[in-house]
Amino acid sequence: MEAVQKKPELTGKASTFAEYDYSNFYYGAGDDPMNLLQPFADWYQEALPNGYYLYSEPLSTAPTTRVQVKNRKTGKIVDLLNLASYNYLGVSYRPEVKKAAIEAIEKYGLGASGSPILSGTLDVHNDLAKAVADFKAKEAAIIFPTGYSANIGFISAIMRSGDNVFLDQYSHASIVDGAILAKSKTTFFRHNNPLDLERKIKGVKGKKLVVVEGVYSMDGDVCVLPEIVEVSKRHGARILIDEAHSTFLFGPNGRGVAEHFGLDKEVDFHLGTFSKSLGGQGGFVCGSKDLIDYVNAFGRSRFFSCNLAPMIAAGLIAGLKIVEAEPELRAKLWSNVAFMRRRFAEEGIDIGKSTSQVMPVLVNNDSKVFAVAEEIQNRGLYLQPVTYPAVPKHKSRLRISISAAHTEAELEMAVKVIGSVLREQGIIR
Amino acid sequence: MTDDGKTRYGYSNAISGFFEFPTENARRILPSHLEPVELHHGTSIFAMTAFDFTESMVGHYGEVVMAVIVSPLVKPGERLPKSAFYPYRVATTTKAAREHAIERWHLPHWMDDIGMVFSKDGSALSARVTADGEPVADLTISDHSWEPVSHLYQSFMKDDAGAYLANIVMEGGQSEHEEEKGKLVLHEHAFNRELTISEVYDVPFRELWMRDGRQTFDPLITLG
Repeated sequence: MEAVQKKPELTGKASTFAEYDYSNFYYGAGDDPMNLLQPFADWYQEALPNGYYLYSEPLSTAPTTRVQVKNRKTGKIVDLLNLASYNYLGVSYRPEVKKAAIEAIEKYGLGASGSPILSGTLDVHNDLAKAVADFKAKEAAIIFPTGYSANIGFISAIMRSGDNVFLDQYSHASIVDGAILAKSKTTFFRHNNPLDLERKIKGVKGKKLVVVEGVYSMDGDVCVLPEIVEVSKRHGARILIDEAHSTFLFGPNGRGVAEHFGLDKEVDFHLGTFSKSLGGQGGFVCGSKDLIDYVNAFGRSRFFSCNLAPMIAAGLIAGLKIVEAEPELRAKLWSNVAFMRRRFAEEGIDIGKSTSQVMPVLVNNDSKVFAVAEEIQNRGLYLQPVTYPAVPKHKSRLRISISAAHTEAELEMAVKVIGSVLREQGIIR
Repeated sequence: MTDDGKTRYGYSNAISGFFEFPTENARRILPSHLEPVELHHGTSIFAMTAFDFTESMVGHYGEVVMAVIVSPLVKPGERLPKSAFYPYRVATTTKAAREHAIERWHLPHWMDDIGMVFSKDGSALSARVTADGEPVADLTISDHSWEPVSHLYQSFMKDDAGAYLANIVMEGGQSEHEEEKGKLVLHEHAFNRELTISEVYDVPFRELWMRDGRQTFDPLITLG
């Protein structure tokens, strides 16, 4: 037998950073729920200086295109070009938005001080719901405190034990958790693969809901909605589209990917968030008044939460007005996206199947991705690595978000830095 | 068995495919004290491994292990397992290997010799398993980058006499990836009766290939 060349250190604890990842600390049999804490702590202590410090680095400025970030490894405040925040249209720090939020806090104080179904609905919440319903050209809308809350609240409001939910395998955790909360039978189909959906849904009886996302958050690819709609309709399934990363961006009027494909009416349920394109907080569902009344009654994540802070609602209304009044913001975003796609291609940088403002810079090397991200930050860019288990093994990447607020000069600098580091690390030639 | 109480087996190749299948199916297979690991909500993991053992107390033999991935038993201060599994069916190409594994590890065996043929095609290795002269399973695993590893796994066993745990260290060169290039064909055969074959996804979400390595069993632990 050939001798093993090199053995990782075998100790009494999980001390080999590269040997483990988050997935190893989720399941653990035994009789004490604390059993996983110490092994995780041992591993995390080693993971932090090896790259995990790049997560949750605190910003001390607004999430504009330039940010001040506290480096968790050195403790120093550094000025970086921001390629990590959503804020796709760059409106959250506009003066009109800040003014509206400040006026709201003067008028209402800090919070809503109640559940939306009891005392927590203020006039500003209803104004926001009407504004987003009008924007989406729907009869009504309902506001949730977060996008996560919108998915778990909506899916569990309309689906029950014994029903069937079909999810894209790359669905956001909030969609998966919504299906779990609904206690429905959950079936995953291969990512963006209508043929696999067909295989899974064929012959299934009872209530069926197919859930897709307009833009997938780790790959930046757009849902193949026409094919998904065709399969779903043929098998009598309702369709929910989560447009967290596509509302206010896609389509002639910015209503989302459903509008982009001319399938606004074929999709049964439209969900979105305010935290991405508007850089705020909260989620929403829009549709018929009957639908919204039903979700108001049975959406537990909203029902049993305090309503959105009124200053946020007021700021979102102001942001929405900007988006409606300035379609050139969308045009600028798409111009920036086209610029980055062209420049990345010229540099030989792989962004996978992304066609949106979410771009994964594929490193495809789990052992190098943290070093790559660290060096990129050292050269002035704020972004995070994404690795297993958030993405498949060997599909590690740097996730970047393009904003309408970026200048071409900023984006050019980003391409040059990313390209030079990837070249130095042997990821590209 | 050596003086340190450990049992070692040398192998030239060990290929594993990890496949999505319904948690309902996993629970039908597992004893009540074991919990399936879910890849997604409602989706557990079926694993098939084919070994080509070259060194052991019972000589050279082939072995196939059909298993469900389960929660590992974690104890503070002890080495953290990479993962754990419940082998619900093991089959070998020789009687001596079968009797050895039943006696020593309480592994649930197919009680006849099976046929196992490995074949290499470019960067992929396939194992064809037959029983009673009929095909049982065809597993193909592709390779990726290789690196030397030493990983701890746990194997849970249960028979009429009790429940057991074996800590197993797998050493050798390893290729592991999630490129979805491999393939599994499960044939209708009594060997596969625990599985609803149509509900086992035929492309592995993860492919693991180890070669020229060593499998080391710690002494068997009887669970209370």
